Amino acid sequence: MTTSIKSRSSTAAPNFLIQFWQKQAPNILPPAIGILSFLVIWQLISMSGLSRIPGPLSLWTDDRTRTLLLYPFYDRGGLDKGLFWQTLASLIRVAQGYSLAAFVGISVGVIVGTNPLINKALDPIFQFLRMVAPLAWVPIALVALQQNQPAAIFVIFITSVWPILINTAEGVRQIPDDYNNVAKVLQLSRKEYYLNILFPSALPYIFTGLRIAIGLAWLAIIAAEIVMSGIVGIGFFIWDAYQQNYISEILLAVIYIGAVGLLLDRAIAYLQHLIVPAEQK
Amino acid sequence: MGVLVSVENIEKTFPLVDGGQYIALKGIDLEIKKGEFVSLIGHSGCGKSTLLNMVAGLDLPTNGLVTLEGQRVKEPGPDRMVVFQNYSLLPWRTVRDNIALAVNAVMKDAPAPDRKALIEEHIDMVGLRPAANRYPGQLSGGMKQRVAIARALALRPKLLLLDEPFGALDALTRGNLQEQLMRICEENEISALMVTHDVDEAVLLSDRIVMLTNGPESKIGQILDVDIPRPRKRMEVVEHPSYYSLRSEIIYFLNQQKRIKKLRGKKTTAIARHGLEKVNLEIGFVPLTACAPIAVAQEKGFFAKHGLEEVSLVRETSWRGIVDGIAGKYLDAAQMPAGMPLWMTLGGDGAKPVPVVSGLTMTRNGNGITLDRRFYDQGVRSAEDFQKYLQQTRDRTHTLGMVHPSSLHNLLLRYWLAAYQIDPDRDVNLQTIPPAQMVVDLQGGTIDGYCVGEPWNLRAAIEGVGFTIATDLEIWDGHPGKVLGVREDWANAYPNTHIALVKALLEACRYCADENNELEIRQILAQRQYVSTNIDYIQLGNPNQAFCDVEQPMREYAHHLFFSQSANRPSRTEHLWIMTQLARWGHTPFPRNWMEILERICKVGVFSTAARELGLLDMKYNRIPIKLFDGTVFDPEDPITYLNELAIKQDFSIAEVVLDDDSRASVNLAA
Repeated sequence: MTTSIKSRSSTAAPNFLIQFWQKQAPNILPPAIGILSFLVIWQLISMSGLSRIPGPLSLWTDDRTRTLLLYPFYDRGGLDKGLFWQTLASLIRVAQGYSLAAFVGISVGVIVGTNPLINKALDPIFQFLRMVAPLAWVPIALVALQQNQPAAIFVIFITSVWPILINTAEGVRQIPDDYNNVAKVLQLSRKEYYLNILFPSALPYIFTGLRIAIGLAWLAIIAAEIVMSGIVGIGFFIWDAYQQNYISEILLAVIYIGAVGLLLDRAIAYLQHLIVPAEQK
Repeated sequence: MGVLVSVENIEKTFPLVDGGQYIALKGIDLEIKKGEFVSLIGHSGCGKSTLLNMVAGLDLPTNGLVTLEGQRVKEPGPDRMVVFQNYSLLPWRTVRDNIALAVNAVMKDAPAPDRKALIEEHIDMVGLRPAANRYPGQLSGGMKQRVAIARALALRPKLLLLDEPFGALDALTRGNLQEQLMRICEENEISALMVTHDVDEAVLLSDRIVMLTNGPESKIGQILDVDIPRPRKRMEVVEHPSYYSLRSEIIYFLNQQKRIKKLRGKKTTAIARHGLEKVNLEIGFVPLTACAPIAVAQEKGFFAKHGLEEVSLVRETSWRGIVDGIAGKYLDAAQMPAGMPLWMTLGGDGAKPVPVVSGLTMTRNGNGITLDRRFYDQGVRSAEDFQKYLQQTRDRTHTLGMVHPSSLHNLLLRYWLAAYQIDPDRDVNLQTIPPAQMVVDLQGGTIDGYCVGEPWNLRAAIEGVGFTIATDLEIWDGHPGKVLGVREDWANAYPNTHIALVKALLEACRYCADENNELEIRQILAQRQYVSTNIDYIQLGNPNQAFCDVEQPMREYAHHLFFSQSANRPSRTEHLWIMTQLARWGHTPFPRNWMEILERICKVGVFSTAARELGLLDMKYNRIPIKLFDGTVFDPEDPITYLNELAIKQDFSIAEVVLDDDSRASVNLAA
C-alpha cells in the first residue's frame, strides 16, 4: 500500500508538468516563436545599420539602461528616479483621472440614458468632444488650470470619460422593457430601481466602457507628460531620454508602458469577470 | 360575485411613422367579476396584449377607462401583477431573490419573518424548493415560468394578468403548468385575465373566453361562457359535451377572422360588363348534395353563359359562415336553407335585421332524420318507438343535431318531434352542428341523432353508425330545401346581375334534374372543392338503388328535386309557413306586418323575368296547399290562428318588424 502511494506521489509532479505542457503547448509555443523571431529580426536590422534604433540586446549592453533595468527602485531625488517610481507616478495620475472619469461618466451616463430629452440635448456635444485628441486638451488644460499636476489629471479625465459615459447611457437604454415593466408593476422606488434593475442590467455595458477607457487613459498620460516638462512620470522620462539622445532608455520605457497597459486592461477584465453575473456576458 | 375590473369603451390608437394614426382597439367593453378567469383570444396583432397592458396600467387607453374596484387605473401596480410571456426574471438574482425582490418591495410594512415565510410558501407552491438558490439561466423554460407565477401570486394580487404565459413552452410542460395554475387559482380564488392564442388552453382554463376581431379597430367579436364544471382536469375536460362545440366555435371565429382579413385585402370594386352591373361575384355554398346547381353552374359554364364571367365559389363549412358572409357583405350571394332569408330579415341572428331576399328555390327534399344505431338495436323503428324510448329514459339527455335554426332541417325535425308529443326544447337537446361534422359526432357519441341533408344520412347508414328513421316522404314531400339568397340592398343595386344569376342557376337546376347527367354531376360533387366525399355517398335520383337502413338497407327515399314546373318559383305560402314555424319555436317574432315582409323577401318578379328570358314559359305556381304528414292543413290566409292551434310551441311574440329606412327607401324606389 505505502509503496504504491509513494510511487504515485513521486511520479505525480513530472506527470503533471508533462500533462500541463501537452495541454498548453499549442497556446504557448506560437506566441513565443513569434516574439522571438520579431526580436531577432529587429536585432539584425539594427546591426545591419539600416536603422539608428538600437537592437533589443542594447538594453543589456548599454550601461544606463542596464542600471535602470536592474535597479527600478532607486531614487536620487528630483527627476532622477528608477522606472518603478516613474511608472507609479504616472499610474497615480491615471488612477485619479480615471476614477473621476468613471464617477462622472457613469453618473452622467445614467442621467442621459434614462432621459431621452437630455440625451438629445447633449449627445451632439459628447460626440464632438469625444473626437478631440488628448494632446489637444493639454494646452487648454494648462491655460485653464495653470499647474502641471491638475492639468495632467484633467487630460486623463477628459480622454477616458467619453467611452464610459456613452456606454453607460447605451446600457441604460438597452435595459429590456420586461425588466422596466417588472419595476413599474412592483412600483419600485427610484433607489430600488437603480440598485436592483438599472445597474445590474447595464453593468456589462458599463464595463465595456471602463475597459476601453483604461486603455485610452494610459495612452493619454504618456502624451500629456511628454508635453508637461519637469514632472516625474514615465512619459516625461521618455521625452527627457530623447532630448539627451539615450535611445535605448526610450526602448526600455516603451516596454514598461506596453506591459503596464496590458496589465491594466487585464485587471479591468478580471474585475468584470468578478462582478458581472455569468448570465449577462 | 361583484365586478372587479371594468373596461369601458376603450379606444387605443398608435401614431404611425407617416404621421397618421393606427386605431388598434375601439369600443371595447368588458367586465371581470371576482374569482373569474377570463381569456382573451385572437390573431396576432389584434391588440389582445395591448388590452391586457391597459388593464395592467402599463399602457393607457387613448379613450375610455379601466377601473379596478371602482378606482381608475392610471399606472401599473402590484394589485394587478403581470406574468409576462418571456418570464421577465432578473438573471442576476436567484429564484428566491427574484421572488424576494417583489415581496420586499411591495409588502414593506409586513414584518420580515412574515415576508420570508411568504416567499418560502410560494417557492413550495410551484414546487421549486430544490432550485431556490439557482439563477434563472440555470432553469428550464417551464421552471422560469413557475418562478414568474410564484412571484406574481406571492403579492396576493387582486387580479392576475397573464400574457401568453405558456406560449414558449413544450406541450408536456405546458399541460402540467396549466393544471398547476388552475389548481392554484381555484384554491386561492384568484381572478385572472389571460392572453392566449391556444384554443384548448382557453377552454381548459377560462370561465369566459373573449374573442377579439382582427385589427385595425379590433373589437370584441364574441364572448363565450365555458360551462364546464370545476375543478377541471385536462383529460376529463375533453370528454365534456360542451368541449368540442366551444372549441369549434372559437376555431370558426378565428378562421372567419382570417378570411375577412384576406377578403379585405383583395376587396375589389364591382366590374360591370355585358350590361350587367357586377360580373365578379363571390357565391357561398355549404358542401352538400344540394349544392349541385351551384357546382354545375360553375363547372358547366352556366354562370359565364349568362355574362357572370368572374364567379368564385366560397366553400363554407357551416351555415353560420354563410350568415356572416352575407351580413358582412363579403359574399354577393349564397345557397341558403329555405328559412334563412326570413330568419336574417327578422333579426334571428340577434344583431340588426339584415333584409335578405330570394328569387329562386334551388332544391326540394333530399333530407332525412338519422338516429344512432343504438336505438335501432333497442327496437326503435318509428317515431312512436322513439317517443316511448325517450319517456323510458327521462334521466338521460338525448342530443340531436341540426344544421342551423333557420334551416328546414331544424323546423321539420321540431315539427316531426312535436307531432309525436316530443317537445323539442324540453324532451331532447337540439344542437347546431355543421353538416359535414354530423357523422363524426354521431360516431363519437356526442349526439344521438340528427336531421341533415344528403349525403350525410346515406353515409351514416352505409357506414353502419346510424339509421334513417324518417325521410321527406314521411314528413313533407316536396318541401323547399335550399334557396338562393342575396341581401336586399345588393338586389336593388344590381338588379340585372340578380336576374342573370337566377337564370344561370335555374338552367343549372334543369341540368341537374336530367337523369342523363347524373353520373357527371355526382363526379363533380365528389371533388375536393365541393362535397369532397366518396361518390357512392352521393345519390341524386333513382329511388330503386338508394336505401338506408342498418341491416338490410330498405327504405324508399325522397331524392333531391332540382327542377320542375313548380319547384323553383319562390313561394310566399312556403315562406309564410316557415315564418310561423320560426315564431313557434321562438327563433324570431311573428311580424305583424307579415304581408310586407313576404312581399319584400319573395322576389317572384326576378324569377319570372329569368324564366321568361330562358324561354321557360310554363313555370307555374305550386298550388297544392301545405299539408304535412300529420294532416294539419296550413291556411295562408290566417297564419296566427294556425300558430295558436299548434299544441307544442313556445311563447311566441307578435311584433312589428321595422326594417331600416335605408333599404325601405330603396324598395320604394324600386317599386
